[in-house]
Amino acid sequence: MPTPPFPGFTRRDFLTTGAKLGAAFLAAPYILRASPTEGGGDDTLNVALIGCGEQGRVLLNAALKIPHIRFRAVCDIWPYNRTYGERLLKKFGHDPKPYEDYRELLASTPGLDAVIVATPDFMHSEHTCAALKAGHHVYCEKLMSNTVEGARAMVRTARETGKLLQIGHQRRSNPRYIHARDHLIREAHLLGRITNASGQWNRAVTEDLGFPANQALSEATLHKYGYENMHEFRNWRWFKRYAGGVISDLGAHQIDVFNWMLGVNPTTVLAGGGRDYYTNHDWYDNVIAIYEYPTEAQIVRCTYQVLTTTSAGGGYHEYFMGDEGALKMSENPKYTKLYREARAPEWDQWVDKGFIAKPGSGEGAPPPVKPWEKPRARLPGASKSTSVVDVRETAELSAWDIPVTLDKAIHQPHLENFFDSIRGKTTLNCPGESALATAATVLRVNEAVAAKKQLTFAPEDFTV
Amino acid sequence: MSESSSSNPAACRFEFTAAFLLLRLFLGLRTFLAGLEKFEAGGRYTFANYYANMDRMASGITGASFLPLWATKNFAHSLGYLLLLFGALILLGIKSRVSLTLTGLLYVGLAFGLMAVQESDGIAWLGVYVGMFAGALVLVRHDRFALWRDRIS
Repeated sequence: MPTPPFPGFTRRDFLTTGAKLGAAFLAAPYILRASPTEGGGDDTLNVALIGCGEQGRVLLNAALKIPHIRFRAVCDIWPYNRTYGERLLKKFGHDPKPYEDYRELLASTPGLDAVIVATPDFMHSEHTCAALKAGHHVYCEKLMSNTVEGARAMVRTARETGKLLQIGHQRRSNPRYIHARDHLIREAHLLGRITNASGQWNRAVTEDLGFPANQALSEATLHKYGYENMHEFRNWRWFKRYAGGVISDLGAHQIDVFNWMLGVNPTTVLAGGGRDYYTNHDWYDNVIAIYEYPTEAQIVRCTYQVLTTTSAGGGYHEYFMGDEGALKMSENPKYTKLYREARAPEWDQWVDKGFIAKPGSGEGAPPPVKPWEKPRARLPGASKSTSVVDVRETAELSAWDIPVTLDKAIHQPHLENFFDSIRGKTTLNCPGESALATAATVLRVNEAVAAKKQLTFAPEDFTV
Repeated sequence: MSESSSSNPAACRFEFTAAFLLLRLFLGLRTFLAGLEKFEAGGRYTFANYYANMDRMASGITGASFLPLWATKNFAHSLGYLLLLFGALILLGIKSRVSLTLTGLLYVGLAFGLMAVQESDGIAWLGVYVGMFAGALVLVRHDRFALWRDRIS
């Protein structure tokens, strides 16, 4: 009998060890996600999710990466979504109880600390107020509500109950956005005097959402929960009775950044738009708005456009322009850049302090060096600009990078901020009061489109 | 009856001599400085920089082609010295026929490396130089102001 290559290690041992290693390999992605009881202790928060649709799943996946969170219940009127949420959570060691009606969930789930609301906009106010009144802190998706009155009711209820209310404008917790506002704009004043801003979200044509034929909700169920039919239930974003249209769905994120970065609310808005492409929708499919923001230095005019028929024109970003520099921000780092005007003081000191970086790739970066090439030497006094411009053109802007990136799911820091606020470790990055101002800023655009004129804001429009 | 310059043997000799001298100066300077810049990094010229640059070149070519590292490394390590030597020979006019031929072959070798990594721009530039070396060799019999001239047959 031949001697085994590893004495004492039999074929049975090999198969057993191999099976264990294989199982560990397959389970690794799940093990790497946060376990609901990881660490244990008193700071584990019991959470419920109301709304397991598209946005609910995004939030679930982000929340599953956060330790010390235990999902106790999920709720959705559509069994198809509800089962998905339940199964996803069970896969990661949670044991959520499923509910169709949120009232039942709130009444039957003891020990809840927080509720995440990710239902269609027209239900935000009702679900949030009910959860707050039940004694839970609430994280509610944006837009806060499809009506300003609905948003006001949420703020009032949060105040009355003393519970926390965070609204899902997640850019406010993105470390790159925080760095840009706190360090680049406010501390280093790299933009100089901010004079203008623009923002856009250009998205290509999308088909209406469908549903498996055998999964359709009954007419009675749909009517019970306020929906006209299954098509409107699946495509609620495009109908006026459920949502605020594209300016709310997409624009709200970026118009919120206008308010947040500039630190003031606008005084006027002028807008145009229409339902020119999707004739089966209620809401406008393209909107262009101009706001006036009364900052300390001057009136800052901000243009915003949202197009749902083209992704051309640079995707989605917010662009703040000053007399010494400009900041182009986006959740997608590839659209992010900082530009220095030729008249501005040199920025090298901010590189040394780690505030900004010389571009390593993309715009403004030196041409890539091939693996066999020697890095090109720059002779002292050599011109930094290689292009010749017309005498009427301003000198070319130099491009710089922001050396702060988010290495998590984009909603995760905002959820972490919410959970840490509940534990008393920090304060909310987007409390209800602040999001109410954003909701008022956003929803007035639809009124301006309908009125075909410039509308003004009064200070009380932004408050309860 | 006037005589055209092209039929004047003396004028003809001057034009060819000037043409070759221009080529010799250009190719000599280009070759010498191409060798010198191999020693540079960060504005400093050292032997350490030379071997770092050449190792990078060799591993880059090998990494992107079928050429083995021993071949690219040997070629790269001798390249800078050869360019300096051949550049000096051409500039000083020492055995121009031989030095131009050898330098032209060196440029063909460089082009071969770039062909292996499909670097079209570099190949095109080297092709221009090889054409200039060929032109210089056609005119080499008009070599003047040389330290050690070839024997003209």
